[in-house]
Amino acid sequence: MRELVARFLSRSISRRGFLKGLTTAGVSLASAKAVLESVVPSAQAQGATRIAPESVRMIEGTGGECFAEQLVASGVKYVFGNSASEDAQFYEALVDRPQLKYILTPHEGPGAAMAAGYVKASGEPAIVMQAAVVGMVNAMGQMFNAFKEQTPLVFYSYRTDQSRRAGRDGFEEVANQEQIVQPMTKYSWLARRAEMIPETVRRGFKAAWTPPYGPTYISWHSDFNDEKTYAEIVAQDKVDPRMRVRPNPAEVERAAKLLVEAKMPLLIVGDEVYTAKAVAKAVKLAELLGMPVTQVRQIYASFPESHPLWIGGPPAARLASLDFPKNVDVVINVGNKLQHNSPQPIVARNVKFIDMRIDSWSMGNVMTTDVPLVADVAHGLDDLTAAVEGIMTSATYKKARERAQEVQRFSENAKVLRALVSKNPDWNRSPMLADRVTAEIAQFADRDAIIVHEAGSVVLHGFDFNPLGGRELFFYYGAHLGSGVGTAAGVKLARPNQQVICLVGDGSFVFGPTALWNMARLELPVITVVYNNHAYGGPHSRVIEKVAGGKMVQKRQFVHDYLGSPDMNMASIAKGFGVDGEVVESPEQLRAALARARKATFDGKPYLIDAQTARVGVAWDDKPWIPPISIARERTRKV
Amino acid sequence: MPVFRRIFPMLLLAGLAASPAALAQAQKPAGFPDGPGREVLAAKCFQCHTPTMWQDHRSDRRGWESVLYRMVGRGALWTEDEIRTMAGYLAGAYGRPAAAQKP
Repeated sequence: MRELVARFLSRSISRRGFLKGLTTAGVSLASAKAVLESVVPSAQAQGATRIAPESVRMIEGTGGECFAEQLVASGVKYVFGNSASEDAQFYEALVDRPQLKYILTPHEGPGAAMAAGYVKASGEPAIVMQAAVVGMVNAMGQMFNAFKEQTPLVFYSYRTDQSRRAGRDGFEEVANQEQIVQPMTKYSWLARRAEMIPETVRRGFKAAWTPPYGPTYISWHSDFNDEKTYAEIVAQDKVDPRMRVRPNPAEVERAAKLLVEAKMPLLIVGDEVYTAKAVAKAVKLAELLGMPVTQVRQIYASFPESHPLWIGGPPAARLASLDFPKNVDVVINVGNKLQHNSPQPIVARNVKFIDMRIDSWSMGNVMTTDVPLVADVAHGLDDLTAAVEGIMTSATYKKARERAQEVQRFSENAKVLRALVSKNPDWNRSPMLADRVTAEIAQFADRDAIIVHEAGSVVLHGFDFNPLGGRELFFYYGAHLGSGVGTAAGVKLARPNQQVICLVGDGSFVFGPTALWNMARLELPVITVVYNNHAYGGPHSRVIEKVAGGKMVQKRQFVHDYLGSPDMNMASIAKGFGVDGEVVESPEQLRAALARARKATFDGKPYLIDAQTARVGVAWDDKPWIPPISIARERTRKV
Repeated sequence: MPVFRRIFPMLLLAGLAASPAALAQAQKPAGFPDGPGREVLAAKCFQCHTPTMWQDHRSDRRGWESVLYRMVGRGALWTEDEIRTMAGYLAGAYGRPAAAQKP
């Protein structure tokens, strides 16, 4: 009886349901009515206290309707989903809520990438919906990316209905569905009753959007979507902890002293600088100290690359591989997660290290830290800059100016040396060098273009990214392939008035081309360029390096890297999704194709260019060997 | 030659101090005879590649130049002189077998 009373008070069952529950339990109808009458005043009183100001209100409807209503209250504009029949009541609710726009994505992976791209480029919340566990596992690749890239994205999928089918290992059912995603979400939770759907949604968004950001997963039994309930809808800002942390002032003073006294301080920037909109603050600190600036692998370019203090990234992802400076004694990292892919630390142990980030979880994972500054980096940079200014003297200002001149001499020389890439004797060849394709696109791109880059083996050059109003970069960090096209679609959805160019390798492209269909349907005029060398170039080289001189090399038998024979035609694939495109082989053809792409996007249409690029590196034959497997020849019947 | 380039080899060794094996490798990589270009090759290339990477590649000077300019696209900062010197060295140490040379 206690449970029935609780459910009645929480409005999860009706008066009739309450009476039915009691009589089913053996209570006479008369007694049940008496109990009901005694409980009603409590229910009314509770309801009265829950009738709230505008930001907190009650709604009566299906679970699906409550879900939709809370999404609106949580500030969601776009829902990215793949068809799920058990979400019927949610779809029904959308009919009366045109402000909540549902984007049907033909595959959950690129759909999630599109949502992530939208979130990254807009800074606005979004949700990805999948059908049960079968859709969820399709989305998990991009969930992994969101986890690694700390993208605040909420994932939802229902689980088998509780009232009739759950627990029988039935259709599309797996035990402990929410636990599958736990290692790569900040939070995963089940709503236990229909009325808990809105609060579970709120909690999902709150956890995703509380720094350090990351994906969350919410779920409930599918019959909760159908159930009539009475639930509380709360505006998201009423549950947002507004965690905008300032650093510990004592640590700020220590950091300032280290930086001012350093002979050669170095600044590493990272994604938190971009997401906190703190690029100008990073520039100010660097200029104050005449400090060179670099960045190891991240999603965004977080510093203007044409700035005289910008020295470029380290080619081997460790500061020791920088050509300059070589006498670094203090390194400050602002907002870079410092992904370590080798046993050696990115910053050498003998250098003083200041780590300023909101992501305290990953601080100290590999790096030893002399001064930790846990902070929203926008606040942290403000405080640190003020502290540095407070202790600078005329002598240290002079030292900073001299250092800035030294850095500038290097950066100007480096710019000249980087431009030598076009001196390659194969610069004009067909199929093209990847570097030539990159150079042509860098020439072509608008001054404020957004470059979505998922061409894993291609290193970009010539773009001079500048997050302060110039070209922006959206690279990838998670490395679950197939994100590029979806991300570009989401970025364009968020930033329709900027040119968006998607650069993908052929390998990554074929993992996730379905978002092209979304580009066509939604009229998202994105230019996609596929670097198509019909091969997995990176794995080819790395395998040879691991088994140098091995039988694979001697016999030229590589089973894992050649994607030709038959060659894939990415322009034809694009046409299948309703996107016009073409195959180009020479630099001249590429230039002409880019002009046609510009025309198409001007007219509101996406365009794809399949740029044939050369396979270069060790042990590539003109016609690579393929494993001699032909099932047609093995047949005994020609069927 | 700019300052940063003159001091580079010494500092590279310092940067590799955490890895004795890498240090030994960089000091005396197997299969790389003495000659002009060897020093800069050892200093620059072995930051990303193990020496064994080179043993399976054969090319003439032009081919090696193309390889080295591609590395410029990946962030290597070399002068044209250095590239010529390294390409010449590699063509000598890892050139095409005579039968494979084009006329």
